[in-house]
Amino acid sequence: MPLPQLVTSGIELALNKVLLLDPDSQGRLRKLSGRSLQVKVNELPWPLMFSFSSQIDVRIASQDPQDTIADCLIELNLETLPKLKDSSQLTQLIQQKKLNLIGDIYVAQTFSSLMKDLDIDWEEQLAKYTGDVVAHQTFSSTKTLFKKAKFNLEQTAEKLAENLRQPNSVSITQNEMILFSEDVNDLRSHTERLAARIARLEQTAQIKAEQNQTKGSAK
Amino acid sequence: MSASETPESQPQQEQTTHFGFKQVDKNQKVNMVKDVFQSVAAKYDIMNDLMSLGIHRLWKRYTIDCSGVRAGHKVLDLAGGTGDLTAKFSRIVGESGQVILADINDAMLKVGRDKLRDKGIVGNVEYVQANAEELPFPDNTFDIITIAFGLRNVTDKDKALASMYRVLKPGGRLLVLEFSKPSNEILNKVYDTYSFHLLPKIGQLVANDADSYQYLAESIRMHPEQEVLKGMMENVGFEQTTYHNLTGGIVALHRGFKF
Ligand SMILES: C[S@@+](CC[C@H](N)C(=O)[O-])C[C@H]1O[C@@H](n2cnc3c(N)ncnc32)[C@H](O)[C@@H]1O
Repeated sequence: MPLPQLVTSGIELALNKVLLLDPDSQGRLRKLSGRSLQVKVNELPWPLMFSFSSQIDVRIASQDPQDTIADCLIELNLETLPKLKDSSQLTQLIQQKKLNLIGDIYVAQTFSSLMKDLDIDWEEQLAKYTGDVVAHQTFSSTKTLFKKAKFNLEQTAEKLAENLRQPNSVSITQNEMILFSEDVNDLRSHTERLAARIARLEQTAQIKAEQNQTKGSAK
Repeated sequence: MSASETPESQPQQEQTTHFGFKQVDKNQKVNMVKDVFQSVAAKYDIMNDLMSLGIHRLWKRYTIDCSGVRAGHKVLDLAGGTGDLTAKFSRIVGESGQVILADINDAMLKVGRDKLRDKGIVGNVEYVQANAEELPFPDNTFDIITIAFGLRNVTDKDKALASMYRVLKPGGRLLVLEFSKPSNEILNKVYDTYSFHLLPKIGQLVANDADSYQYLAESIRMHPEQEVLKGMMENVGFEQTTYHNLTGGIVALHRGFKF
């Protein structure tokens, strides 16, 4: 399964869901309409591209230099990511060399204030799922959950296949079919949610690790 | 028409082509393919999700990621059907760009148009009924052409690829997303069982149309495998042609440039 695309689809789903919840966001999003922002988080294997229209489309930015024509390109470490929420800090971050920015700073600023207004508290989002459990543990439970969902689905598919193999089989009812397609749908949204969750977990885990490091070195 | 209706007069060998596993008159294949999609149009999207367990959405995302699309681009979504790729392209190319959704089948186009309108996608999308073999556009028109799960239905693939090459701008690229040959023998067997036993039956149950999905399975098997398709693209002029297997080669994305 194309994993990076699973991750971008999760992020996209999560972002647009929050946007839908905020009635004012459409107006703010309009300011960015037709623009694009490329974000390279150094710890992530692929740069992300955000395109703005009536919604936000998230994809993996091409690594091919002739393709990377976003209106604005920013490069930063994970630990700097949460600071982006404060658009007034952008120039300061650039001066401190914590943020590399090429192109139109307006796009980054507007995106950053959009994120702030949306007030996505990633920590809190995470806590909803994990309580205070270490991210590592959550990772494994997430995996189990995913495995379980997949197993259920496979079993249903197997049953279906088994039934279909029977001669004169009239055994699949419309209902069973509907159940099967619901399972598929469930699995899909499950996967999308999981992808978003994993992205968030990775982010927080990294931040925590960084914080611990700085705490450690401050001692 | 069902797939079993073959022409009465035995056609010359070179005038026949395959329709799934059957040999049919070349002129007839176009109409037979038309009938298949005419009959699946309404259930097409749900069947897609069912048959691929939703993974087709990720394959399509990968295609967009490899397209290099940006605001202002002019994109042709060929054999675009119900418009999944068009929807995303339309948002990304924005007001200064344009997307043309072209398909040979008016029923698929209609489902696509209605769906995109419901999603609020209007303004920069145009709908054109066209045959991939004879694209009704001037030379050097598009920055990007995609054909997703469409090429295997086309009767004369070489002619269609040449036509795509012609309407592509220099510097533009073609992306062909299509079922292909799984690289692993075991996967190949499992996949065969799935497509020849399960698929037509799901088709029967959900869309009440086993024939069309039998055709689908057969047409997948008859489609040229990775290296062959790459060669066909190079033959009509594409350069820097590469392919990337997805989900073990069940699907492959071919990419070629016109310079
Ligand atoms: C399997 S659907 C794919 C639709 C869409 N691209 C997707 O990925 O969901 C194949 C489409 O190819 C179209 N098609 C078949 N032969 C064609 C031709 N010669 N020229 C243009 N479109 C064709 C069919 O009408 C159908 O809508």
